Amino acid sequence: MKQFLIASLIAGAMALPAAAADYTIIAPANPGGGWDQTARSMQTALQQEKIAGNVQVQNVPGAGGTIGLAQFASQSAGNPNALLVGGYVMVGAILTNKSPVSLNEVEPIARLTGEYEAIVVPAESPLKTMGDLVDALKKDPGSVSWAGGSAGGTDHIAVGLIAKAAGVDPTKINYIAFSGGGEALAAILGNQVTAGISGYGEFESQVKSGTLRLLAVSSAEKIAGVEAPTLKEGGLDVVVQNWRMVAAAPGLSAEQKAAVTADIEKMVKSASWQETLKTKGWQDTYLSGDAFKEQLAKDVSATETILKEIGLVQ
Amino acid sequence: MSDVSRTPSATSRRPDRAALAVAVFLGALAGLIFWDSSRLSAMANYSKIGPATVPFVIAWCLLGLAIWTAVAAFRNEFPARERQEIPPVAWIVAGLVLQMLFLRTVGFSVATGLLFAFTAAGFGRRKLWITIPVGILLCLAVWLIFAGLLQLSLPAGPLEHLFF
Amino acid sequence: MSTFEFLLQGIAIAMQPMNLLYALVGVTLGTAVGVLPGIGPALTVALLLPVTYRLDPAGSLIMFAGIYYGGMYGGSTTSILLNTPGESASIVTALEGNKMARKGRGGPALATAAIGSFVAGLIATIGLAFIAPFVVKVALVFGPREYFALMVLAFVTVSSAFGDSTLRGLTSLFIGFALAIVGIDQLTGQARMSFGVPDLLDGIEVTTLAVAMFAIGETLYIAAQGATGPDKVEAVKGSVWMTKQDWARSWKPWLRGTLIGFPIGAMPAGGAEIGTFLSYATEKRLTKYPEEFGEGAIEGVAGPEAANNASAAGTLVPLLTLGLPTTATAAIMLAGFQQYGLQPGPLLFATNPQLVWGLIASLLIANFMLLVLNLPLVGLWVKLLTIPKPWLYAGILLFATLGTIGANPSVFELGMLLAFGLLGYIMRILGYPIAPVVVGLILGPLAEQQLRRALAISQGDPSVLFTSPIAAVLLTIAALALIVPLILRARGRGQVLSQLAASED
Repeated sequence: MKQFLIASLIAGAMALPAAAADYTIIAPANPGGGWDQTARSMQTALQQEKIAGNVQVQNVPGAGGTIGLAQFASQSAGNPNALLVGGYVMVGAILTNKSPVSLNEVEPIARLTGEYEAIVVPAESPLKTMGDLVDALKKDPGSVSWAGGSAGGTDHIAVGLIAKAAGVDPTKINYIAFSGGGEALAAILGNQVTAGISGYGEFESQVKSGTLRLLAVSSAEKIAGVEAPTLKEGGLDVVVQNWRMVAAAPGLSAEQKAAVTADIEKMVKSASWQETLKTKGWQDTYLSGDAFKEQLAKDVSATETILKEIGLVQ
Repeated sequence: MSDVSRTPSATSRRPDRAALAVAVFLGALAGLIFWDSSRLSAMANYSKIGPATVPFVIAWCLLGLAIWTAVAAFRNEFPARERQEIPPVAWIVAGLVLQMLFLRTVGFSVATGLLFAFTAAGFGRRKLWITIPVGILLCLAVWLIFAGLLQLSLPAGPLEHLFF
Repeated sequence: MSTFEFLLQGIAIAMQPMNLLYALVGVTLGTAVGVLPGIGPALTVALLLPVTYRLDPAGSLIMFAGIYYGGMYGGSTTSILLNTPGESASIVTALEGNKMARKGRGGPALATAAIGSFVAGLIATIGLAFIAPFVVKVALVFGPREYFALMVLAFVTVSSAFGDSTLRGLTSLFIGFALAIVGIDQLTGQARMSFGVPDLLDGIEVTTLAVAMFAIGETLYIAAQGATGPDKVEAVKGSVWMTKQDWARSWKPWLRGTLIGFPIGAMPAGGAEIGTFLSYATEKRLTKYPEEFGEGAIEGVAGPEAANNASAAGTLVPLLTLGLPTTATAAIMLAGFQQYGLQPGPLLFATNPQLVWGLIASLLIANFMLLVLNLPLVGLWVKLLTIPKPWLYAGILLFATLGTIGANPSVFELGMLLAFGLLGYIMRILGYPIAPVVVGLILGPLAEQQLRRALAISQGDPSVLFTSPIAAVLLTIAALALIVPLILRARGRGQVLSQLAASED
């Protein structure tokens, strides 16, 4: 027993890397999801580019990221080595969950990537264009069932905005929330619902293989390499970007903030990060400093409005 | 489970107090669900089943089970129970509580080492001056393997920081 | 090249001595970490994945396959020997397996689990290779209403885990349902039974409940017996190896378990544990030794273990053919695949045949290595029972809490662990079965959500629940499974189908 202990102590000690500038990135979601992947890609890039020594990713899943957010705000305050990955979903979750901690209580550093929503129908569907879908929606909103992610999430918000732009009462949409893990995609592929909505990346390989028909995307301009029109081109004034960001802990000094911002900027410009964006198909929507904070405030107020209109927030 | 003796004891005419307590617990649980679900707003939804529907059904069933349990308690239909010794349970629960309280401050190894020693104490090894150091060393080894080698996020305290 | 040639080529690569070694290392690591109570396959794969990155692509893929199968298998060992399943898929294994271990038959129980896992893994991996595109088509036919029907069937089968009292079994199940309400309602986003506590918004983690109820509840219960409890479990009584009768009683459950587990694992909303419940119920209905169920029937170990491992391979069907990660483990594997440049999706088999077939060949080899590793270890594992109780249970609690802390290092989670541990202990004292609580927590929300989704799609018309052919068949089976035993019971002692002919009264 003793020998085993000593041996494992030595083995463990040898395996530890030399200490350097370390980061702990909180991914407020379960392993495998978008935020987790963002955090782990950051981990790889920061380590490979020697921007930081040891980078750890810690998953604090729960409640649309608000648990991770609350824990981060309270436990990491003043810690310049702690980072939090978050995103647009958090904005909605803070409102629907009546979270006591909001994004004002952390220090947003930069928007890293963004993904646009895609509206798809099964290949067999009689609906050929976004116009067909909108017509069906206008005729009988209940007959158009939309499969997407959890209630109050980006997908739900986008459907609400589409309905509103089409002149349909947003409370009348028949939105079917699925838990993650591709359940919504399975329901669309299985022709169980009228249409599906999610980030474009989720549907990309299905669209390319022809099992799903892409009707529209929610970007402001056409996405390179994607043939489908934007919602705007279809006459619906809706732009939704499901962005992901990185935030630092509250209570940092100006130098500490600047140091973190510099590290993140170095990472974003690095070859390994750009490579990751390419392989994962993430759009580079890097935006930092005050410009990002301004955009964030705009997103928060717009989201609050539509969530109230859908009836998810009182 | 036929090894459990089913012969009623001499005092079998009195209702089974523990089973009655279970009935009360189930009833209280049902009440809690009723109370919580009644404040959920009924959302306009095409399924016609709101967020409160299923909880209500479950609460009604729990209420039914509470009554059934109470009847069974008066009829003494529960199997005879083995005698429980409380001190060992108290030791282990104390260990778990200590771990929970100290995890954040003193780190994984010390907190879990205490749990280890207290559990051993619950099973009759009461020499804490031996078991606590052994437990801490063992947990430190476990920490080094899982947190150091495998990157599992286990809280570190002063002891772990000696190695990191 | 044809399918078969690709597979042969893959196997040839995987059979190289170095790669065999990697497979062995992967299986060993996966089993070693997976065997710890509280650390399920998802965490095992997540923890060990980085280990594989240091190797060349072929070697790392092979080691990864070994870790996956090793982690899936590892959980059953502690279930059987110590009644402490660390994950939901091996709960059913504990029901009969632990009873066997207590009678000194831990050896045969472990052996039938190992061989059953091998048989199931072998068949299911071959199934993955040759009928994946077909299976996935069938799985996609399952929409919310079909899932709801499947859940109804699963509920009916749960009753086979009730033990000897319907009242106590139902109570346990409904306690599970009550716990399942906790958290944000998925379809409307409203918080239920959360009382303003943010930690409760995501509901109660199945792993936390399972580890608390089984590992901690069991430890408290054993400790509370003090000196009056059984001195020491007799580690081995009779042969450590399976007898002829054990073989005769095991092989059919292995095959049936595989048949049940593989398609359910392949369904996007299936999950390994549902397959194990169905398999256990099937074996209980079909066995010639119904009196042994609840007392350590080998069929009750062989079937669910096969179902568990078959569904591990089944999970790969939607993952590889559609890019759908359907479990936490699959989600982590998806991240792992990207490391090898493997982008799962409908075009994968066409664009990346070498890697896919390499993976499938690796899984076959890993499966074989698992058997090679575990059969000789059966004797050693059984020795686990001879560790003095203070150290054994102190170690169990160490690892049980390690798993919980590692997955979510929050004090609140540890508090829940303690609370549910006490609940499990009290339920044990009063003779309530534990498994239905966990089953209720798993199935309750699934059934509710699928029902509400089905009704939302049909705009509130309940007839859709019965009009789909698959749903109708599933509901009919469920009704028969519920009614037939009731009739038999009403007619007297007859409790099993096989006694139908013999029953006279």
